[in-house]
Amino acid sequence: MSEAIVKESSTLVQVEDLVIKFPVRGKGEKKFITPVDRVSLEIKKGEVLALVGESGSGKTTIGRALVRLLTPTDGKIIVEGKAIDEYKGKALNEYRQTAQMIFQDPFGSLNPVKTIESHVKFPLKKHQGYKGEALDQKITDLLVQVGLTPVNEIRKKYPHELSGGQRQRLAIARALAVNPQFIVADEPTSMLDVSIRAGILQLMNDLKDDFGLSYLYITHDLASARYFGDRIMVLYGGRVMEIAESKELIKNPLNPYTKLLLAATPGSESQIDLTNMTNEPPDLTEGRQGCPFVHRCPLVTDLCKEKVPALEEVEDGHVVACHHYGSQALTF
Amino acid sequence: MEEKQPVLELENVSVGYDSTAGMVQAVNDVSLKIYENTIVGLIGESGSGKSTLGNAIMHLLKNNAVLTNGTIKVMGKEVHSMNKNELRKFRWSQMSMVFQSAMNALNPVLTIEAQILDVYRSHYKNMSKKEARARARELMEIVSIDPTHLNSYPHELSGGMRQRVVIAIAIALDPKLVIMDEPTTALDVVVQRSILDKIKQIQKVKKFAILFISHDFSLVSELASKVAIMYAGRFIEVTDSKSLSHTDQHHPYTEGLINAIPHLTAEEVTITGIPGNPPNLVDLPSGCAYHPRCQFATERCKTERPVVHQIDNRDVECHLYDAVRKEVLES
Repeated sequence: MSEAIVKESSTLVQVEDLVIKFPVRGKGEKKFITPVDRVSLEIKKGEVLALVGESGSGKTTIGRALVRLLTPTDGKIIVEGKAIDEYKGKALNEYRQTAQMIFQDPFGSLNPVKTIESHVKFPLKKHQGYKGEALDQKITDLLVQVGLTPVNEIRKKYPHELSGGQRQRLAIARALAVNPQFIVADEPTSMLDVSIRAGILQLMNDLKDDFGLSYLYITHDLASARYFGDRIMVLYGGRVMEIAESKELIKNPLNPYTKLLLAATPGSESQIDLTNMTNEPPDLTEGRQGCPFVHRCPLVTDLCKEKVPALEEVEDGHVVACHHYGSQALTF
Repeated sequence: MEEKQPVLELENVSVGYDSTAGMVQAVNDVSLKIYENTIVGLIGESGSGKSTLGNAIMHLLKNNAVLTNGTIKVMGKEVHSMNKNELRKFRWSQMSMVFQSAMNALNPVLTIEAQILDVYRSHYKNMSKKEARARARELMEIVSIDPTHLNSYPHELSGGMRQRVVIAIAIALDPKLVIMDEPTTALDVVVQRSILDKIKQIQKVKKFAILFISHDFSLVSELASKVAIMYAGRFIEVTDSKSLSHTDQHHPYTEGLINAIPHLTAEEVTITGIPGNPPNLVDLPSGCAYHPRCQFATERCKTERPVVHQIDNRDVECHLYDAVRKEVLES
């Protein structure tokens, strides 16, 4: 109980009504799509929030906005009590020491002509001011911490000499070099072999405790979200569909989309027949009406097409956006 | 004993790549039988040789890859001793393949209909265009795509629909064997599941055999009845998929894989990764290729390749089970 109170008082990241728009190329009038539409979320210190959704749901876009690789169109991002969405120049530079990102593709996110050592050396020098022997020692420590051993052999190598798992470990070491408080991990294991994935997830889990890190863990895999995430947030068409504690969400999904996602995940007990389901991508155009899931949802009514369902707290910490979440019957 | 003719029979198959670093064995002495109306999964990490084996069965090996040993028989016929013309007729009518990337498998400048008709027209010279068209419509209905999409071009369809079209083309001539090489890897979870459900449904009706190649352990163990697990070009275990729900008495690599996958519904989720990295085929470890990553490895594993042991319904290639085998033999 007391633990819960402490946690509640220490919000690290607070996002309020985040909107991100991208221009669409085309003739005539300038058009926009809205891949992220009024998303609010909160990440507490030491917490892992798993962001689950399919491609096009806006999950990566949110992640990039949180580390300010993107500037939000509207809404607020507050990290440690400071609004970071308007940061520029020096302030943004300094913010990079608080928040870091691990990218999906460890083959594309490393510099092929730089040695392993220089990948972590640069942030250590630039942001942390390490020099000489201390720098050398810190590089060794970091590489050991992420399991890149034997260090003396590996630090002189180039990225192409590493395996996929090792590269992702290096990407993690590079993110840790600035001693961040918050890491956005964008599908860090999806390009790795199955036997390697568990090791990377475990490493991120261990580092969470060692460094007191908070994560936004972006994934399309509910099983790994359930393992690594304290809470899971389900996203569809740029909108939050459901948020709950990981275990609760898997056990008691309320939103029809969450149910569909769960049924589609290997190892789930729910049996929904999807043989004839077609997949239409959600409508992302600016000014769209209603719930983004309408064209696939079995519970759809006129209300859903007109009005966006508001997020409603059904149980303690279990929030859902659906006009008909109480309905049980589902056939897709 | 089973006297039926297997749809696919692999006997001591080895495939090598002639590379600058010398001959690289991508597939190393594997044997397997698949009978009609079954789905067999083939699991392996990247570089384990699973796609190479799939291509070898279809006789689609690239120039520098050669079948160095063994025989591949589909419906009793040796695929690699056919001449070009025989092979052209045999492919697709008896065995077909669904490739991983649907976008690359379809021709971007031809309509879906043209691509389906192509299959019929080249295999059935006497078939009228009208009949072929009617069949194409039928096919689209089987894979749950609105036949109006016959006039669409591949780029007008979503990824899932494209993959359905590729599946439709693969089953157009009612083959006895369909090889599916990671058919759902690039797709979203929900789309993936809907396509797998579709594959299962069609397979039940048409009763062909499927060799389903994938790296996704949990997906394959749900879909297939029998699973072959490949490591460094060898089948280190061939097992019925039911037994993959527990970790007893498997190959240590299989056990490692089972432990590495987080369970969705378990009360407490723990996972353990497999240490080390997948082996480099150019420089394979001696003895059992898995020994550098194996927690049970002994001196013997480093020098001597293990033989296959039968445990229940499983064929496991591991020294660990020598003792078990001795007990069985003695009793």
